This record gives sequence, structure tokens and C-alpha cells, in this order.
Amino acid sequence: MRLFGQEKTYIFPVFVMGLFSVTILAGFIGTLLPSFNYLPVIGHTNLSLSVWFDFFSYPGIQTSILVTIFSGMTASFCVVTLAFLFISVSYENALWKFFEKILSPVLSIPHAAFAVGFGFLIAPSGWMVRLVSPVLTGFHTPPDWILLNDPLGISLTIALVIKEFPFLIMVAMGALGQLDIKKTLLVGRALGYKKEQIWLKVLIPRLYPHLRLSIFAIIAYSLSVVDMAILLGPNTPSSLSVLVLKWFNDPDVNFKLLASAGSLCLFFIVLVSIFIVYLIERIAHFFLGPWITNGKRSSFLALFKPFIAFMGICIILFTIISSVILVIWSLAWQWRFPDFLPTTWSLNFWAKGMVSSFDPVMTTVVTGVASAFIGLFLTIGCLEHEGNYRKNQTNQNQNSQDLIGLNQIRKKRTNNFIKNIHYFLYLPLLVPQITFMAGIQLLLVIMKMDGYWITLMGSHLLFVLPYMFIALSATYLSFDERVTDQAMLLRRSYARVMLSVKWPMLLKPILFSFAIGFSVSVAQYIPTMLVGAGRFSTITTEVVNIASGSDRRIMAVYALIQQCLPLIMFAAAIIIPKILYYNRKGMQV
Amino acid sequence: MRQFFLIFLSLLFLGFLSQAHAVDWEEIEKKAKGQTVYFNAWGGSQPINEYIQWAGRLVQKKYGVRVIHVKATDIGDVVSRILVEKAAKKLQNGSVDLMWINGENFKAMKENTLLFGPFSQNLPHFQKVDNQKKTLKYDFTVPVDNLESPWGMAQLVFSYDTSQVLKHPETMSDLLAFAKKHPGKFTYPAIPSFHGTTFIKQALSELIHDPKILSQKVSAPDFEKHTQPLWDFLDALHPLLWRKGKVFPTSGSQMLSLLNDNEIFISLSFNPNSVSNAIENGELPNTIRTYIHKGGTIGNAHFVAIPFNSSAKPGAMVFANFLLSPLAQARKANPKIWGDPSVLDIKKLSGPDKKLFDDVPKGIATLSADELGPGLPEPHVSWVQALEKEWLKKYNK
Repeated sequence: MRLFGQEKTYIFPVFVMGLFSVTILAGFIGTLLPSFNYLPVIGHTNLSLSVWFDFFSYPGIQTSILVTIFSGMTASFCVVTLAFLFISVSYENALWKFFEKILSPVLSIPHAAFAVGFGFLIAPSGWMVRLVSPVLTGFHTPPDWILLNDPLGISLTIALVIKEFPFLIMVAMGALGQLDIKKTLLVGRALGYKKEQIWLKVLIPRLYPHLRLSIFAIIAYSLSVVDMAILLGPNTPSSLSVLVLKWFNDPDVNFKLLASAGSLCLFFIVLVSIFIVYLIERIAHFFLGPWITNGKRSSFLALFKPFIAFMGICIILFTIISSVILVIWSLAWQWRFPDFLPTTWSLNFWAKGMVSSFDPVMTTVVTGVASAFIGLFLTIGCLEHEGNYRKNQTNQNQNSQDLIGLNQIRKKRTNNFIKNIHYFLYLPLLVPQITFMAGIQLLLVIMKMDGYWITLMGSHLLFVLPYMFIALSATYLSFDERVTDQAMLLRRSYARVMLSVKWPMLLKPILFSFAIGFSVSVAQYIPTMLVGAGRFSTITTEVVNIASGSDRRIMAVYALIQQCLPLIMFAAAIIIPKILYYNRKGMQV
Repeated sequence: MRQFFLIFLSLLFLGFLSQAHAVDWEEIEKKAKGQTVYFNAWGGSQPINEYIQWAGRLVQKKYGVRVIHVKATDIGDVVSRILVEKAAKKLQNGSVDLMWINGENFKAMKENTLLFGPFSQNLPHFQKVDNQKKTLKYDFTVPVDNLESPWGMAQLVFSYDTSQVLKHPETMSDLLAFAKKHPGKFTYPAIPSFHGTTFIKQALSELIHDPKILSQKVSAPDFEKHTQPLWDFLDALHPLLWRKGKVFPTSGSQMLSLLNDNEIFISLSFNPNSVSNAIENGELPNTIRTYIHKGGTIGNAHFVAIPFNSSAKPGAMVFANFLLSPLAQARKANPKIWGDPSVLDIKKLSGPDKKLFDDVPKGIATLSADELGPGLPEPHVSWVQALEKEWLKKYNK
């Protein structure tokens, strides 16, 4: 059954794929050429490998690369393992319910703000040591321990785990809705398997494909993270991403070439890491088969249950305490070691911060709302197309015997192509930002399109769209189509059915994905800086600027304002359906 | 005879030019009216941001020029952007109209001909600038050539916590002795950060046997021979540093937080008033004081410059001129506001202008001009690059 407008939905994936592949390719070329010594503006026109030689002979570069790989891969591995174990032991229990409630505010905390708070929590002069000093430790001055910025990047790794774990759980929560968990558990229990064993042997392997791309995104992010690495990572030498950013900003313009090579090297590390994960998948597939079918019913996991739950709680706790620290700093006047709380307090910085952040907040809100709106429009368009495509697929399979013809095959091929949209959408999350944003900046300046609000918003859209897609796709695609079919039988208008039946029913997930898109836009720093040509200051650029100074009190004020914006959006996503559907209990879920 | 004639002619021409100045400036002010100036400047300090806001408000009121402070974490970003604009042949309507700059960034801009000018000689308030100061003519030994207009002076000062340290060091070897007595209580920012590099330069100027050689271009054998005392000093110092020299702060700003957290007892800064300012706004306790080493410390200056493709050059000049005015300079020098030393020659001022400066309170932790002394000259810029490279090779592992 196809109605007017329904077959046109292919426009969405085609548009999105075009937009994404062209911009990223252009940005990529803008980085590739300088890395081979081609940057005419500073007089380099002879293609050669000299830049790469310089790059690999830069002092400490091997350590930089190794630290990057170590912290990025360890963090990703821990996040994935911990997430799977956590899901296995606590699905649908009280802790899980708590997570469902707390996850969005936790996710909305920007990485940099979290890193500032977390750094102050664990530093030798930080809150944890202050809690027990000087009474228990006798420390009147902080101990000289390497807890932050450690050369191996362990503090950075821990912070990454804390920040990425909730993200993976959120994606998993969406994807779990698509699996028949209750039935599987029922059958498994009937066969005598322990609950944890059913999860590990049956459900996690089925969940994994849904999470694969998000896991790749986590790997790419952990390897190329900049803001957290500056605050928490090692610095002699720093991790590769930080080094690349430093080179890009070096007054000696010849470092631009080195920066390009560095960012390509980073991209290469991401690619190889993802490929290794792919290999691990294959190997696991081969070796875990016998384990899955060995028939053992009991699980060692039950023993670790309290420990895993504890880890989950710790992660949330650390995030919340990091925010609490920011609140205290924002109200402090003087706060020295070993005082557990400030000795003098002041509202001065809130008064100053509220006034001077007004304009940046407005820019942030307008840009965030606009890009989330467009993102939502495109996401729903793409998902609608995918839904229709899946439906056609099943229809075709039913009567494919007599219909197979050349046309059909061709159609199938384009459809398959369009189906790969997921991979295109994830491109901006898989390629390190710094690798292609600098190239895009050059391109925009050439086209005289830099410094316009519309291009700024577009650059945000590149990162907003994938996250909105991740957030919405599972729920949207598992929508019970019988409802819409019924509605269409009653009223043959695709648009009307969407507007008055399907979307209202999906209001809550739609609003949530909107809030996620908004919070992603709020957090963008590199695109705002490079594409905005300094014409637009958002709350995030303000935070990063003030963080380059020393005053933690005003920094805390800005970071909290930054944190509040997504929080308000998430609160709206929860409250609006409650108000609209106050008299329809079924719609509030 | 002919030569005399030529000189006469050029003198006549010069006289003409200075005549033309006065007229020109009115013209510039007229053109500036209604323009918007995007002033790109580091935005990491609330007091400085507020000062720039104040200056912008006044220029708007007096000259009808709108100033927007584009905050940067690192002015290198801005140099990059102007370079990209040049690469893309954007020769007008660039995104930057005026920028806060000095040192390596200025050198990069000058070498790549990204600067507009010479212009600073045309600014009326430039007449009152202290032209005795060598640091205003040579920005990190690179000739300024009127391509940037002076804004403030800087000099390396150390700060220490009087509640922890009774007697502050007076030389680099004193500092080493301090570190032996209080291991882990001193550090300096990692190279190539501005403050870190300055500390290394200061150490070299104190330790080198023949300081005169620093004003010349460096040669490889010279470098090896003359910097050996520096590396010996650092090799001895590093195991005694904060975190045993395995971790360094990334910026001068971070040093201030470390001092407040009691992590270190001795810190350094480039603004002789910054400690007074930080005490004033509660960022540091009242027990911190500043000092300098016996032979003096390295001093330099910071400037504002106009990029070649600025879309509002007259507006930028009007703002640069305002920043040089006694009113703006005196306010800037006030430790309660910012505490950045003035570039004006107080002797050239009289009447209400002089009073502005007389009224500037002395900061609680600020050294007097006599105590600060004339400041050591910067080493030739080639030394800096060689030093940074060698430091990275030795300690960035």
C-alpha cells in the first residue's frame, strides 16, 4: 500500500548522504594535500614525503601515538565490557529503572565541564584528599602524587569510561526494545539457564549488531578526544590529538603541514582500531560458538553481580559529584587546600557570568534549536524511508516468485545503497573532527561562506544528525505499523496519518532525540571556532576561553550555564508529553 | 650640493606628511564612524574581558565605533584563520579587524605579510608613548616597524607564598637550593608555552657566561657551548620539581591555581601586577608576594595589530588610539581593574592626564618601578627556537 508522498521519501537519505560525503571528502582533501607538502599560501608546492619524515621524527611522537592508542583502546574496551556486564546483571531491576531516569541529565553534561570537576575531585589537592586532610592524613600541603595528567593517560582513560559508559547504555536501552527479551528469558529459564547466562549467551550476541556503530563511534571519540585530554591527559608529551591542535595553532605556519600529517595519522589509528575490533568480532564468533552451545547453565557472573552494580553506581556518582564541585566553585570567593569547603563565599561570579553570558547563550539556543529541528526533519525522513523500505522488502519476499525481473533487481540495488545510509551518517563520528574541519574551513573561506550563521548551523548539523539518528531509530522503526495501516485505510492521506497518528504516538522519543540533538549542538567547539570565523560566540566557546585562564570560579559559572541548557531541553522532553497527554495514560509512557 | 638639496626636499616632504597627519586623523575618525571592529583577543581572564568591554562602550559613545571582543583561547588560532583567508584570496572583508598580539605570532604575521601598516605612527596618542623603551621598538627582537601599536608592558616576576617560604630565592642557583629544601614545590609551564619559554630564557640569561652573545643570531657550535650550564641546571632541577618533572603545567594560568592550591610555593607571571589583581578578586590569598632575581628579569611588551584584510581599518585605528589614551592606559594600570603596566611616558603627561596616573593605587603585592629595574633584553629570536627544540628533545619523552 503506497500513498502520495510515501515513495518520495528516498529524497531524504539521498540528500543526507550527498551532504555528508561531499563535505567530509572536501575536508579530507584539504588535510591530505598539506600532509604531502602542498600548501601554496606558505610557499609549499612540491609534493613530497618530507612532512611525514618530520612528523615521525618529532621529539616524543612515538610516546604520543602509543599513549593515544593505549588510553583510547583501553577506555573503549572497558566501556563495552562494563556495559554488557551491567546490562546482563541489572536489566529491568531497580538500578536499571534508576538509570533510565538519570541517564539523560548525566549525558547532557559536556565533556569539558565534567573533566574540570573530575580533575578537581581526584587531584592530590582535590576534594577526595581534602575530605580526609589534614585530620587523617596530616597533609597541610597536598602530596606530590601523579594522579592527574599521568604519563600513561590512566586518569584520562578513567574519565573517558565514566563519560562514555552512560552513552552506550542509552543506545542499548533503545536497541533492547527491538529484541524479544521477555520471551527469550522465559524460554531460557525453562531450559534451566541462569538469567545472566541467557544474557551472555543469547541476548548480548543479538544486541551487539545494534550497538556496533555506536561502539565504533566511541572508539573514534576516545582516540581523538581533545578537550578532556588537555585537562586530564599527559602533557610531556601530550596525546596525538592535543599535539595536532597545538600544531594547528602554532604561530610558525610551517607547523600546519605537520598538523595535517598528524591528523591523518590520527584518522589512520582510528581506522586500524576499528578494523581490529572487526577482526576481534570474527574471532569471537569463531571461538565463542562452542561456548554458547556447551550447555552449561550456571554462570560465574552471578558472583560479580554486586561488584558490577557498584561500578555502575560509581560512574553515576562520579559524574554527579563533578557537577556538585562546579556548583561549589561557582559560589566560592576563596578556597584553598586543605579546606573542604570555601572559606569565603560570593555570588559575585554568578552576577557577572549571567550578564556576560547572555548573548552567547542566545546564539547557542537559536543555533541548537534550529539544527535540532532540521536534524529531526531529516532523521524522521530517513527513518520513514527505511521503514517503508523494510515493509516493501517483506511484501516483495512474499510474492517474489512471479515478480523477479530486471527492474526489480535494479531497484533492489539502489535500495541496498540507500540502506547503507547508517554508515554515511556515522562518518562525522568516525573521522576525527580535526581531520576534516580544518579542510572545510578553507573550502568555506574560498566560497566566501565562512562566518555566516547558516554555515555554522550546517556544521553543527553534521554532528547533530548522527546522534539524533542513533537516539530515534530503534524506537521509530519498531513502531507498530498496524496502527498507521489502519489509519490509512480510514483516511488516505500519508501526511495526515503521520501528523495526527504516528508522530503524536511517538512524541516522547521524538522530543528526546530533539533534546539530544540540541545538546550535541551546544557542545560543539571546533566547528564553531573554525566555521564561525569568530563571529559567533556560543556558551561553549566562552567556557573554553575562560578555561584557558586560571579563575575556576567564573569557569564553574560558565560550565554550569552550559550544562543547564541541555538539561532544560531534556526536562521539556519529559514534561511536555505529560502536559499534552495528561488525560491519556497510555500515551505518557 | 645635490645631496643637501635632496635632504632638504625630503625634510620638506616629511613636514608635509606630518601636516597631512592631523587632517588625515579627522578623516579617519569620520570614516570610522559606524564601523564594527572585531577585536580578536585572548579571553581567558574575566578582569581583562571586562576592561575590553569598558573600552568598547566608551569608543562606541565617543566615536561611534562598535567593538566586538572575539575571544580566543590562543591567538595562534587567529593567525591561522587570517592565513587561511589569504590562501583563499580573501583580500578584503577579512574576519579580523584588530588583534592582540606579540612575539612569535607577530613574527609569523610579519613574515607572511599578513599585517596592515605601518600605521601606529599616525595615532595621535602614539606621541606620548615611551620611546626610550627598546621593547616597544623590538617585539622579541623583531623590529616593530609601526606594524603594531603598543598596548602594555610585561616583565617576568616570581611570586611566592610568604606563609610557607620565609626568604625568597634571588638567583637561579638560589632557586635550585629552594627546590632541594622543598622538593616538589616549584615548577614551570611546559615548553613551548609562553611562560615556560620565558623561564628558560631567564635561566639562560642568568647562567650563561657571556650574556652579550644572546643578542646575536645563534650558531650551532655556539649553542652547544653556551647552553651547557642551562641544561646542567635543568637536569639538576627537574627531579626536584612538582611531580618530579614528569608532569608540567600547560600554561602560566595553571600555575596560579597550583599556587592557590598550595601545590607549589613559587610561581611566575608576566604581569608585575597580576598577583595584586588576583588578591584583589579573591583568586589568591593575601600572603602571596612578588619578587625578581638580582640581575633583573626579562621584559617585553604586547601590542595590537591590524590584519591586511581588515574590513574596518579606520575603526580599528580609532580603537587602537583609544587604547593608548591616558584614560584607558591609567585604568588598565590599576591593579583593581587589570594592573597591566602602561606604555606611556608619564613625563610627557601633564595636568589631568598626569593626575589619572597619580591616582592609580599601588598593588599590594606589586614591586615599584625601581625594584623592577629596566628589565633584561630578550635573546635573539633564533635562540628561542633552538632552545625550544632542544628542550623538547631532552625532556619530552
